[in-house]
Amino acid sequence: MDTFQIPVGPLHVALEEPMYFRLDVDGERVAAVEITAGHVHRGIEHLTERRNFWQNIVLTERVCSLCSNSHPQTYCMTVEAIAGIEVPVRAQYLRVIADEVKRVASHMFNVAILAHIVGFESLFMHVMEAREIMQDVKETIFGNRMDIAANTIGGVKYELDDARVAWLVDQLDRLEPVIVGEIAPLYRTDRSILSRTRGVGVIGRQDCIEYGLVGPVARGSGLDNDIRRLAPYAVYADLDFDVVTETDGDVWSRAMVRLGEIRQSIGILRQCLAKLPKGPSSLPGWPAIPAGEAVAKTEAPRGEVVYYLKTDGSTMPQRLKWRVPSYMNWDALGVMMKDARISDIPLIVNSIDPCISCTER
Amino acid sequence: MSFLKVLVKNIVAGPSTVAYPFGEPETPAAYRGRVAFDAGACTGCRMCEYVCPAGAIRFDERDDGLHFAVWHNSCANCGHCAHYCPTKAIRLTNDWHMAHLQSEKYALADHAVVPRARCTRCGADIGYGTDAIVRHAYRGVARQTEHLARLCPDCRRAASIKGASL
Repeated sequence: MDTFQIPVGPLHVALEEPMYFRLDVDGERVAAVEITAGHVHRGIEHLTERRNFWQNIVLTERVCSLCSNSHPQTYCMTVEAIAGIEVPVRAQYLRVIADEVKRVASHMFNVAILAHIVGFESLFMHVMEAREIMQDVKETIFGNRMDIAANTIGGVKYELDDARVAWLVDQLDRLEPVIVGEIAPLYRTDRSILSRTRGVGVIGRQDCIEYGLVGPVARGSGLDNDIRRLAPYAVYADLDFDVVTETDGDVWSRAMVRLGEIRQSIGILRQCLAKLPKGPSSLPGWPAIPAGEAVAKTEAPRGEVVYYLKTDGSTMPQRLKWRVPSYMNWDALGVMMKDARISDIPLIVNSIDPCISCTER
Repeated sequence: MSFLKVLVKNIVAGPSTVAYPFGEPETPAAYRGRVAFDAGACTGCRMCEYVCPAGAIRFDERDDGLHFAVWHNSCANCGHCAHYCPTKAIRLTNDWHMAHLQSEKYALADHAVVPRARCTRCGADIGYGTDAIVRHAYRGVARQTEHLARLCPDCRRAASIKGASL
């Protein structure tokens, strides 16, 4: 059989963002994949060394759009570690609420796109419509549908009064039955979803460890590496939730992990809203940030985010470095796409919930 | 569960989009829109300029006062300025109607002048926003305090010794 090469990208593979794949194909099957990144590199790490600590909260929020809350939160955690700031307990609860709202919206977006690629447009529209509940929550509580600007050094910039807590609970009451009663069962049982996603883009648990995979991609192969459980930050240690894992490691398993995590996140949100303690939501005054270095990590919707910050006593970072979850997950596409059909490539790419924005920071 | 049930439910429920531009969409009170500035409440601390990630806020000190400018096209609507403003002189409104022609892009800015405060007795320059600082520092302000706050340090000393006759 003839082998030949086909270029995919750099535009339009599942998401309309630039990433270039060179595929060696053998008939209908993929023999090898080469991925070329760097089309939209923005140099944000360097830019952070030209801005003060407060400006960088907003800049790091622009690293990624769907994980946009995890970046400033992790960055603030490194600054707080260096400055020895104790974040008020209420602020820590508010941080978890912001984080989980973003996680629900992010996961719903990914599973919706799966339906879109399969060609099940009415399901895509249905999931996106349900996701609007969470988009409206972001707009109403935080003031924006994507960049929620919740975090600042020493706490959060938003407040929840009793009326807003009650409204938020109402929204969760609207969303939960749609997820549990309609969307999750459809993805679990619908024939057109199952026939396109089961056994497609498989990666084993051992490969996940070797490639250093994180987030729902690793958990879909049974590798439990949720930072919220392994290295709890904020108040995750006081909250009751399950780490969702699947065993098959295919496109479907990764989608099911995300759907399961949406449900867990709704549970976390309910607990936080019920337990939300009184007190300040941010530090009064202006902290001094001495010379030092710190590392912090959180579980973003796509997996572990690690921030390293080195300061020299000035008002700007000497070095700010981060590792994003998508970076390792891209490499695993080589394993997932091996022997895959060409028509399944968009589905496999989408299943790692790729974020070009944070890969190309 | 069959998707047909979902479809039937959605047909009964009707469209879930809003009728914009023929109907006004709902804008939540917390929405972070166009920045608004109140020169009367500004103390000239320039904290908003310091925390603004985009450099959208500029201050310029001139003879007639402190010139404030915000460039709406640079603004990221992050709310840092409002969060860190001690007197809440700067805030984010619910106005999101920011569409404009290319030719208007450099005009999309707001300017204001924070006037210099002058000593009410000798006319010396005593900085910016003294009234705003006093209102921020004290829950209630007595007329005597207000009077003393509007004096330069020398005149205040003199007034204090005399018993600050109003």
